[in-house]
This record gives sequence, structure tokens and C-alpha cells, in this order.
Amino acid sequence: MSTVLQLKNITKTYGDMRALSGIDLALPGDAYISLLGPSGSGKTTLLRVIAGFEHPDGGAILFDGKRIDTVAPHQRGIGFVFQNFALFPHLSVAQNIAFGLENRDVDPVTDRRVVDARVRDIISLVGLSGLEGRAVTQISGGQRQRVALARTLVTEPRMVLLDEPLGALDANLRARMRAELRAIRERCGVTFLHVTGSEAEALAMGDTVLVLESGRIAQSADSDTVYNRPASPAVARFLNCYNLFQGRIEGGAFVGGVGRFGLGSAAPTRAASPAYAIRYDRVSVRPREAAIAEDEIRIEANFVASEYSGAAVNSFFALDDGRVFEVESHLSHAAPETYAEQGRYALVWKREDALVYA
Amino acid sequence: MSMMAVAEQTETEPVVEKKSPGKALWLLAPGVIWMSLFLVLPMLMMVYVSFWTQTTFTIEPTLTLKSWVTFFTSDTYLGALWTTVRIWLIVLVATVLVGYPAALFVGLFVKNKALQTVLLVLCVIPFWTSFLIRVLAWRPMLGKEGAINMILMNLGITDAPIEVLLFSELSVIIGMTQIYCVFMVGPIAFMLGRIDTSIIEAAQDLGAGFWRIFRTIILPLSMPGVVVGAIFVSVMVLGEFATSAALSGRKVNLLGNIIVTQVGSLKWAFAAVAGVVLTILMGAVVAALLRVVDLRKEL
Repeated sequence: MSTVLQLKNITKTYGDMRALSGIDLALPGDAYISLLGPSGSGKTTLLRVIAGFEHPDGGAILFDGKRIDTVAPHQRGIGFVFQNFALFPHLSVAQNIAFGLENRDVDPVTDRRVVDARVRDIISLVGLSGLEGRAVTQISGGQRQRVALARTLVTEPRMVLLDEPLGALDANLRARMRAELRAIRERCGVTFLHVTGSEAEALAMGDTVLVLESGRIAQSADSDTVYNRPASPAVARFLNCYNLFQGRIEGGAFVGGVGRFGLGSAAPTRAASPAYAIRYDRVSVRPREAAIAEDEIRIEANFVASEYSGAAVNSFFALDDGRVFEVESHLSHAAPETYAEQGRYALVWKREDALVYA
Repeated sequence: MSMMAVAEQTETEPVVEKKSPGKALWLLAPGVIWMSLFLVLPMLMMVYVSFWTQTTFTIEPTLTLKSWVTFFTSDTYLGALWTTVRIWLIVLVATVLVGYPAALFVGLFVKNKALQTVLLVLCVIPFWTSFLIRVLAWRPMLGKEGAINMILMNLGITDAPIEVLLFSELSVIIGMTQIYCVFMVGPIAFMLGRIDTSIIEAAQDLGAGFWRIFRTIILPLSMPGVVVGAIFVSVMVLGEFATSAALSGRKVNLLGNIIVTQVGSLKWAFAAVAGVVLTILMGAVVAALLRVVDLRKEL
């Protein structure tokens, strides 16, 4: 796939706060890219810099090989979908969608019939038929989301930036709109860059997932790689599915707060500080007296509480150093176990399943 | 589990609060009594008195249309009505022209909320002096040997003082625009301040330039502010008499001035007729302005 957008060493500072510290990035055309980052990681700033609402302090932005840092937002060919949708409250659904076509400085469409035809096409593309004349204050959140998207898509941008587009929707609708957004994108064949703070959303939607950490791209890979091989302890932490230990590597073992863990055959991943990560669902809970196999690692902890979510149950244990350790047990072929409150259990995982950073 | 046990124990009857609108209505009583005694009753009285028989020095409660006929056949009164409407329209347009850009600056381009408040408070500073002083202060500004004429002559822009500046319709319009402009700025700045900046960014992103955005987004969204400001200004200008008395040299007679003169010479019936006409005019203006924008929807 060809590169459509390229960022070279983009920096942006607000006062003393470094929002973006050297972003290097190349985004392919015709793809769904999700940008995952916790709040304060600079993801909205990055999006606003690409859109042109903010000017970077340094670096270059190339779009289709041409520098666009000094180009005004509306001449970049990049559409922006705002988190709160930013619909024009005094205009109807159709008027909102037609706004860009009729009012843009460059090449406005003056022929009423052309505008109407293009608005009609895009309305059926995003599934809003029948609501053309409604005021945007009289439609539901999901419908407003579609209007915001249609309003941008009708101007035929080469790329669409979406700032937490599902954040304002309720959970049910959010799940439906995920599939909907991907389908709409495939129909129009432009690149979507979708910013989100939800790891589930990022993994579910992105052909490529970018992970932003304190103003830097920490990882850029497909969902499976990001989930199974997070590039750094920080990425593992955002994914919200790894127990992490701080410590050091010493004589073929990782030495952390709760003991020595033997290392597997894979070489440790390079990272700023040593860490040891084991996924929630790779850990099994056993009685203390149960024996372990040779390739297994065992620690002890006290059961605190569990959270049942239907297909899985997450159990929380307190380690001896006071930290919480989480275990996710899938219930597809098993009934949920009941653990005694404050009971002491052995937590066991395979050496090979752990990720080690050094 | 223990959580469920707690949930069972705390199962209680939801407390339904009975609504009693009858009791809440008592809150309105002081206002209703006050307004009936000092607004509704006097207004009805005014309408009634306008039909009384007026002689040179006395007034009798014998009903007659004479005062109304006199009002609508006299050039003085009709002229005053026309002057009132004309000055009101000019001042309304002038306050919008002067106030809107100022409000646009404060409400839209000043991002800092604290600074916004400071700037709006600055607009109110003239109100720290009394109304009459504010009006009279225009005399040394606009007079034949006033500040403006002196500056213009010293700079060599004019040879002779511009006499039309003071004691003319122009001076009344200048004075009223200055005094009432702030009532236009406030509501407009308030409406502009409520516009979400992302809406303007969205319009920019869709390719619209500043004037397009102003015409299609900013102006329509600020119209409720313009209408509220126009209502304030209209009601105050239509009832004006002091500015024209102080700055027009008695050349400009508004309906307000007619009322003052008639009351001064104890012509209560004529004054009442002028009062009723003025009230109807104001009511019509406010009703017309409210038709422009549906305020219930916007506020």
C-alpha cells in the first residue's frame, strides 16, 4: 500500500508541557488506522496538528508527498470528525451535509441539483435516508455521528480524522457503530485515522494500530501483534490485559518484588527499564499444595474479589508486596470457580507465555 | 455473595414526592400584587384617563374622544410620533453597527473567559455616572466651541465649526447610540460566547472562509442576541425624553417629550393619549422583534 500521510519528527509544546516529542509516522492509503493512547498522551494534539488546527513547533507533515504544514486546514484534503460532532445546530441534516459543498472557498458547488444529488448519495451511504429535513437537535446520538461523518465524506477528502468518534455514544450503540464505521470506510476507500482511548475499540477497528505514549509513537503494528507482543511495558499497561512487574534481569532470571521468575527461550524485548509482563488470561489459579510443572512459574497471593462478565470472570489477588494481580478465566467450557475470601492461592503460568523487557 | 445480601436488605419503597403546584404558586404572590398595583392598574387608569374631558385647567371624568381626535389631527403630535419612530430606527441600526463588531471581538476572538468578563465590565463603566451627566457631557464635546470642533479646526480639516453637531437630530442620535450601545453588546456577546469553537473549526475544515462562516454560521447563531439587544434598545429609546431635551435644544420632540410637557401643563388627558400610543408602539415593536427569532427555542 502506498503511503498517504507521513509525519517527520513532529514536535509540539504547550508552555512547559511537551505534547508531542518527535512523532515519526507513515500511514498507508485505503486503510483503517486506530490511534490508541491514554488521556494526556497527546493523541488529540496529534490529530489537530494533522488537520491543521494547531501548528507544530518543528518537523514536517507530508500528504501525498507534498508538505502541508503551512497549508490552511481546509486546503489539506483532510476531513475532521469532531468528538462532540460539532454539527451546525441551526441547520437541518441535509443542510449540515451540504455545507462544505456549498460554502467552501475552493471550487464550491453552485448547482443546486448537483449538491442535492451528492447529499442524497452520501445520506444513503451512511444510512440516514428519511431524516434529511430533521433538525440535528432532533436526532439520536448515533444519527448525529453519521451526519458528522457524512458532512465530511461528501467533500471527498483523501483522509478522514476521527477524534474519539464513539466516545459520546452509549455502549450498545458504540459496538454497532464500530462495524458501521469500518463498512462506510471500505465503501469510500479513503484512509480513516481513528483516535481512541479504548484498547478494545482500537484493536477491533484498526487494520493498523498505533500506540501513542507521552508524545511518542510507542508501537505501530496490526492488532494481533500489538496485543500479543506489546513493544514496551507502557504499551502492555495501556492494553489493560497484562500484569506487570518492575525489577531487573539477574543470572538468567527476572528478579521482581515477589520473587525470581525463570526466563523463557525468547530474548527479552529492548525497553527503557526492565519489566516482566504476563497476560491476565494466561494465568491459572490453583490450590497452594498443587504441584507445578518444570516450565511453570508460581507465586502466591490472597484472593480479594472477582468480577463476572458472562463469558469470563476476572479475579483480583493481592500480592505480598500489596500490588493487585488480575487473572482472567474464560468460562466457555467451565463454570466459574469460587475462591475463599482472603484465601491464599497459587498463581501459575508458563515461563514461555511471559514477555520480558530489558 | 455478600453484595447480594446487602441488596436484598436495602430493598425499600421508593419515595414518591407529591407535586403540589398550588403551593408553589404562592411564590408569585408578592410579584403579582406589586405588578397589579403599580403597573397593571396604572396602565388601565392611563387608558381610562385618555378618554376624560380636558379643559384648559381642569379634567373631568366625562368620557369623550376629543383628546384622541386632537392627537391624530395635530401635526405636532403626529410629527412627534414620526420623529420617535425615525430616531428609534436610526439609533437601533447605529447600536447594531457599533455594537456587533465589539461583541464579535469580545465573544468570539477573546478566548480567555476572565478577559471576556473584564471587557464586558468595561462596557458598563459609563453607567457609573448618572444618566443626566452622561447626556450633558456631550455638550462640551459636540458644541460649536466643543472638543470635536476644536480638534477638527486645529488640524485644519475644517475652517468653520460644524454647527449641526449639537442641538440637532444628529446630536440626539450620537448621544443615544453611546448610551444604549452596551445593551446591544451584552446579549450579542453572550450568544457569541456560547458558540462552540469546534463548530467554527468544522466549518473551516469543510473549506469555508471567514465571511462565509460569519454569514452562514456566526450571524444566524447570534441572532437571538441581536433580537434581545434590539428589544432592550427599542424599549429604552422609544420611551426617551431626557437625551432629546438636553441635546436637541428643544428642536427634536419625541413622544416622551410630549408627555413630559403635557403633564407639566396639567393636560393629563393628552398625556394619557400619548402614553397609550407609545405603549402600543412599544408592544408592536417587541412583538415584531420576537417574530424574527424564536427565543424559546434558542435560550
